[in-house]
Amino acid sequence: MKKLKKALLKFCLIFVLLNVGLFVIFFFDLDGKLLFNVVEPFLKKHYDNMERKDTLAEPYDLDKFPKYKYD
Amino acid sequence: MAKKNPIKAVKDFWYGKPHTAEEGGRRLGELYEDKTGLLKHREWRGVKDTFYYMYNIWGYNYVHMVLDILKYSNNPIDFVKGTWRYRWMGQTYLPVIHWFERGLQGMRGEALEASAWHYRAMVSASIHQICNFFNADTRLHGGKQNEAYKHTIYANETTCGTLFYPWKDAGYQYLPMEMIPYFVTCHVNSHTVLNYIDAVQSIGLPGDPCPMCQAESGLFVLDDVPDSAPIIITCNEACDASVSTHTLQDWFANKPLFALPIPMQFDDPLVKKYCMNEIEEMWKFVEEQTGVPFSWESMKKYLERQNKLQRDEWEKWDVASKTDYYPINGVAQALFRIYSTQYGIQTSCWEEASEKVKKIMYKCVEKKINPFPQTRHRVIAWSCMDSLMFDMEIRTDSYENMLEDMATYHMWAPMRRMAVGGMHHIFELWDYMKRFNCDMVAMYDQLQCKGMQGVHGLFEDEFRKRNINAFWIPHALPDCRTVSRAEISRAEIRRQINDYMTTVMHEEPLDPSLLDFDDSMTW
Amino acid sequence: MKDLKHLIYFENLLQEANNELVKQAKAEGKRAIGYTCYFMPEVLLDLPGCFSVRLRAPGCTSPDIATYYLSGRVCHYARSLLERALEGGYNFLDAQMGTETCTATCRFQEHIQQKHLDSVEDMRIIDNDDFFCTFTDVPFKNSENSYQHFETQLRAHVLEPLHEHFGIDISDETLVKAVEDHNEVCRLINEIGEYRKLDNPTITGYEFHVIQLVSLCCPKYLILPYLRETAEEMKTREPNLKKEFRCKVVLAGSENDDPDFTKLVEGCGALVVCDRFCYGAVESRQPIVLEEGKSPLRCIAEHYLKTSNCPRFMPQDEMRARKKRLADLAKEYHADGVIVASNKFCEYWSYERVIDTFILKRDYGIPVCSIEKEYINSASGQLRTRFQAFVESIEIKQIQEDK
Repeated sequence: MKKLKKALLKFCLIFVLLNVGLFVIFFFDLDGKLLFNVVEPFLKKHYDNMERKDTLAEPYDLDKFPKYKYD
Repeated sequence: MAKKNPIKAVKDFWYGKPHTAEEGGRRLGELYEDKTGLLKHREWRGVKDTFYYMYNIWGYNYVHMVLDILKYSNNPIDFVKGTWRYRWMGQTYLPVIHWFERGLQGMRGEALEASAWHYRAMVSASIHQICNFFNADTRLHGGKQNEAYKHTIYANETTCGTLFYPWKDAGYQYLPMEMIPYFVTCHVNSHTVLNYIDAVQSIGLPGDPCPMCQAESGLFVLDDVPDSAPIIITCNEACDASVSTHTLQDWFANKPLFALPIPMQFDDPLVKKYCMNEIEEMWKFVEEQTGVPFSWESMKKYLERQNKLQRDEWEKWDVASKTDYYPINGVAQALFRIYSTQYGIQTSCWEEASEKVKKIMYKCVEKKINPFPQTRHRVIAWSCMDSLMFDMEIRTDSYENMLEDMATYHMWAPMRRMAVGGMHHIFELWDYMKRFNCDMVAMYDQLQCKGMQGVHGLFEDEFRKRNINAFWIPHALPDCRTVSRAEISRAEIRRQINDYMTTVMHEEPLDPSLLDFDDSMTW
Repeated sequence: MKDLKHLIYFENLLQEANNELVKQAKAEGKRAIGYTCYFMPEVLLDLPGCFSVRLRAPGCTSPDIATYYLSGRVCHYARSLLERALEGGYNFLDAQMGTETCTATCRFQEHIQQKHLDSVEDMRIIDNDDFFCTFTDVPFKNSENSYQHFETQLRAHVLEPLHEHFGIDISDETLVKAVEDHNEVCRLINEIGEYRKLDNPTITGYEFHVIQLVSLCCPKYLILPYLRETAEEMKTREPNLKKEFRCKVVLAGSENDDPDFTKLVEGCGALVVCDRFCYGAVESRQPIVLEEGKSPLRCIAEHYLKTSNCPRFMPQDEMRARKKRLADLAKEYHADGVIVASNKFCEYWSYERVIDTFILKRDYGIPVCSIEKEYINSASGQLRTRFQAFVESIEIKQIQEDK
């Protein structure tokens, strides 16, 4: 019984702490601040420096595709 | 320093601050950090609404953003790879909850609940599309064309999903090519789209065509459209630039492409037969390319669900137009309608959200709850793009009737229901003002939309003649650089509306802190 | 070269839409039918009792009132047309045969409609009680469905209104005769145009542009004698002994009814030997072929869809073939390069110009000068610099090839 009480208490404590933590993140917009100040600049740098295909080199064939006509 | 009133403090804690310009009002503008638009802290909306927001909106949607990936993705690793590969994905997906924040600011009770369900549906449908992109993308699978690739049909984002229901039960997925990479990103994170506009201008396109079309082309120039389907369907909705966008897309995608032109003069009864034939030709193309015949059962099944969704929407519009009890805000209403009609019944999220919203709406009606009690004016936001497109049911009693209605439906597609086929359509504004019981007009003045610019003067004349209160909101969709930045920045748009309200309407703001603040760097 | 006998007369005819020959035809009781787009078959507007006038607004540099109505962000051509209409410059028109083929000109035509249902007060811009404006829906493809649709549209929105309003005979026999007359104009223009293919052409691009424009803007039966005489004159016209150009070019792009623009190009040393733009002759002066077993109207509908190279055609094969068509023209007319000119705010040509610039150079080895221009080119200094640089680059290329 004592063990159960202790476990219950522990669970409640974790639950409360978790919720308090979540509330702090939520209320102070910490998720937004992290994304805006850290994650996005990091990703932006990655995308800016990414090697990309030279799309202008894509062929422009005249007869690669048939005429899609269904008269 | 003013002395604090303990009773008011308790009341503010329990209910949140009142929506008033008086001392002790909300002052939401003061919650923002300078420039970034991030929040110093979120608004305290009272005990019930703050925790509703935290658990049922903020937490719920974060969790469901993960659960939706697990639900729709064939392999969640592909999702991570896609996020790393595509700018529009990485930079857009994470700030989604901030998109909610912007759309739900200051809201309470039923309005907060109901509007959030619309947002939830849009996010879920977007994840559905994103997962379908990545499930099939050859770039994420070592160049391999897997089964998902072979079962995907690409279409231009203005080619509505309804047309592809006949192949849905056979496992074929319609994917609007630019809806997520362009359209959704503009709403969630406006930082990404400028890269695509710059890309297409870097190869010589002038800055004046519609920025939406520019970005749609720029995605291809930067090779940022997943290679997820073997075929492409394009259509001429809605304007000259849309047609021309496909010339660049065709070059860079270099895949079998079928053009589905829709008549311009859609009031003319003679065009219907032509339009029906074009739609049937497109279906023949899909049959030929997929090897799977048109399924009337599949078509009928999803059309019936779509019709039900349309009737639900009419019910909602009815309440919105005739009462003060409609709990959805304007942005949530318009975007839900545009997203749902364009993507169609590809997932059940629209129907689920609609049911939930209707329940909240009828609660408001029965209990006479006005979710926006401080409303002074009923404003109709007007432009070529609106949530009134596709405003019809499609008959399912026979193939012939379905096809005839499908032609009309397609001719009433986004941005063209009002913009083409004769200028009297854009002047249907007067009828819609009556229908929705509006006393003011907000003209979305898309500076690069030639069709809308071409009726500018007549609108000015008519507003004067009819003595209608109307203000113009000049913008260039996501591109704030085409004309001087000051002219169409968010701050300037706010200033123009506020100036109109104070100088023409002689009204005082409900929250003076929202008149002027700098959010120039915000998402 | 000796001056063409009628060139100054032709130039004078282009000074205003309601020119001397238009006035003469009106005085003879004929109905003036306006149009703006190639997709409106002029041959149908040239039936006995009426005549076609492709609308222009020469000399319109500041369309102020039109800018109030259409805003400053749509094509200058559409604004100029509306300005000229507001000034009363098109009051001679008895009808406007509209097409919704590009947004800006469509909006212009909608403004001059006498009735906009109940939504907008009638502006009555065209002060003519008989005036009416109809719209024809033009397809975006070459296919059986499109031909059928276009034929139906032309009958319902062009022929029948002409018959109902003005009693014009729209029988097949009359159409056949109209096609014959139209083909005579085409034959003469093509005959004159053939001299542009010579090594040392005996006609300049400017002169040809003027001749082509008068054939579009004047009643055909009145301009025909002058065209015949000019064609005769061309047979004996001697070229200058020394070539007065440094290279030959194809001029392609959007709406261009400004011969001074062609003159500007030629002043920089590039002789314009082929005109593949709206108002040009490459498409519009191909003779209409009447096929057995098909009605004349059907043949006309097919002709105008098949001959057009407008960038609004959407099918993949047609989009791609347009580039080859331009390359073929450069070859046929022995051109050294192509100038692709789009009007500012013309969305079709803004995109088409981008792709032409890359593909013609990369896949066909043709030098391309890509420019954006206004309807009336006040920025001629800037354009002159561009053209001079282009001519020099072609010359350098030729020198390198000779080595």
